[in-house]
Amino acid sequence: MDDLFAPSDVTWTPVSPKLAAVRRLNSAITFGVLGLVALVVLGVTLGWVWGLPALAVFAAGFAWSWILIGRNQRSWKYAEREDELLVSHGILFRELVVVPYGRMQFVDVTAGPLERSFGIATVELHTATPATDAKIPGLHPDEASRLRDRLSALGQAQAWGL
Amino acid sequence: MTEPAPGPYDGRQMTQQTGGEQPWPTPPPVQQPPDEPSGARLHPLTPFVKGWGYFVVAAIAMVNNESLRSNLTLAGFGLIAVLVGGIALGALSWWFTKWQLTEEAIRVDSGFLFRRTRIIRFDRIQAIDVAQPFVARLFGMAELRMDVAGGGKSDGKLSYFRYDEAVRLRTILLVRAKGEQAVEHADQQPQSEPILVVPTARLLGATLLSSTVLGSAGGLIWLIVATTVLDFHIGLFAGLPLLLGVVQPIWKQVVGNHGFTLSETGHGLRTKRGLFDVQRQTVPPGRVQGLLITEPIIWRLLGWSRVELDIAGVAGSPAEGEDDREGAQLLPVGERAEVAYVLARVLPGLDLARIEMHRAPQRAKRLRPIGWRYLAYGYDDQVLVTTRGWVSRRTSIVLHHKTQSVRLEQGPIQRRLGLANVHVDTPLGPTDAIALHRDQFEAARLLEAQADRAREARREVPSSAAVQTQPNPPSPDGSSSSAASPADDSSAT
Repeated sequence: MDDLFAPSDVTWTPVSPKLAAVRRLNSAITFGVLGLVALVVLGVTLGWVWGLPALAVFAAGFAWSWILIGRNQRSWKYAEREDELLVSHGILFRELVVVPYGRMQFVDVTAGPLERSFGIATVELHTATPATDAKIPGLHPDEASRLRDRLSALGQAQAWGL
Repeated sequence: MTEPAPGPYDGRQMTQQTGGEQPWPTPPPVQQPPDEPSGARLHPLTPFVKGWGYFVVAAIAMVNNESLRSNLTLAGFGLIAVLVGGIALGALSWWFTKWQLTEEAIRVDSGFLFRRTRIIRFDRIQAIDVAQPFVARLFGMAELRMDVAGGGKSDGKLSYFRYDEAVRLRTILLVRAKGEQAVEHADQQPQSEPILVVPTARLLGATLLSSTVLGSAGGLIWLIVATTVLDFHIGLFAGLPLLLGVVQPIWKQVVGNHGFTLSETGHGLRTKRGLFDVQRQTVPPGRVQGLLITEPIIWRLLGWSRVELDIAGVAGSPAEGEDDREGAQLLPVGERAEVAYVLARVLPGLDLARIEMHRAPQRAKRLRPIGWRYLAYGYDDQVLVTTRGWVSRRTSIVLHHKTQSVRLEQGPIQRRLGLANVHVDTPLGPTDAIALHRDQFEAARLLEAQADRAREARREVPSSAAVQTQPNPPSPDGSSSSAASPADDSSAT
């Protein structure tokens, strides 16, 4: 069934589970801060008893995001074909992008502080159109730089003007 | 380069009356004073033409100000101070702005406090226009607009020149950008015969019958009737945007596209339009990325449609405050035969009628109750075509070998219905080729097939990038290097 968004004629590489860890930490921070704010605001205005249900709502939200993040992380995969890079992701909104190497304008490798501490990076391929959404998060830094070098080499070799 | 370039091209030499030896098609009787070696200045009236708006604003401000009107001498002094200051600043800026052509780039130095040097390589110039804003036209002046891929329009503006000088410079730059030095001898006639002129009456009619204007006018009439008959006053404020919706498109179309003329030159198709602000634009063959044909509902009955183009580098950046989806207009409104002719001119060998269109499956009705009937796509060995929209029908045409990336997308509802979208991405511009709500297996096949077609097309067509980055060496006989033109043309096929 999932074959549609992941054709089986290429070998797909999954992204690191650390991506989920980073995103869960992010989500924990967001929900934690929101929950604390809600707790304090409700506690000061209405009484501390009211703060507890609010906290429970945020805890539930966090639990839900925990599951979603895990599923989403497992959905990210990419494949290098002879002429194209394939990136597939998403559970609810699914997307499969096919980008010819020769269309590449430049490659970005980014890693935020949180990502760096977990040892992952994001590779993004840019073409002449912003609509191209070829981003691969959750790569090991070595893999990220290997991919970057390979993509730039291939992009150079197959370069195609506008 | 056999000739000792950049010598003959650089600004200082240009101001001399060089003999008949290229590159100016006709040796210009240049009035600019000789300069120091670092380049030529722009037209001396430039500061005035650029700054006239401020003078008018200052004058109006002076006249309108009650306390100042009572004291006319003060107002007069103020106005003179503003004028003198403005002219002095403008003159300074003009004095320090210099441009020159080097071997492979045009170089512009500007700024007297903060010096700035901008170098635009010829092979990065995507399109060059000569524009004449209203005031500049009164003085017979024009500005040169160079579109650089990825940059905003203002990045490549050079104003002002005398009109014929701007045209000559444009010819030179265009020839350089296309890398055919010898061609300029072949076609020295800058004027070209018009292929097609859009009559103003049709422009006006078409605008009046366009969906936006009709919708706004309908809303306005309803509002007026409702206000007078039903004594319902609340809605009057809504009339303002509606009125704007009626007037603005008319203004934009009738004034902006007045006298729209399409003509053929040695460097590609050329458009000229505008009543006050004459815009000229050249469409180099091989730079066309995609086309969009729009047919609002009433236009369809009359057989009219609008054709727009995606050209690399022409779509402006949103920061300019202009409509950022505006690519190049190829035909603001045309009849069927004209549209067919223009399409055939831009994409030789394309016959839209022959392309078999595949309609979306009926279950797409759940997502598009009416419009699903108009969702279709088709392809031949050159292009992929998608259509959609029932009020205003949009037909997007994308060249296989210009395809940037292909995407398959599916949302939750589509998944339940077993549908998916296929996007064929082109560089920024009006074209958006999306095969909406296809059967998901068909969509997956289309994705693969389109990726294959794009790959094949890229292999077949000689790289236009190579043509741009390696200018053909001028050969003794102009014939072999002017062959670059047909080759460039063929990349559009």
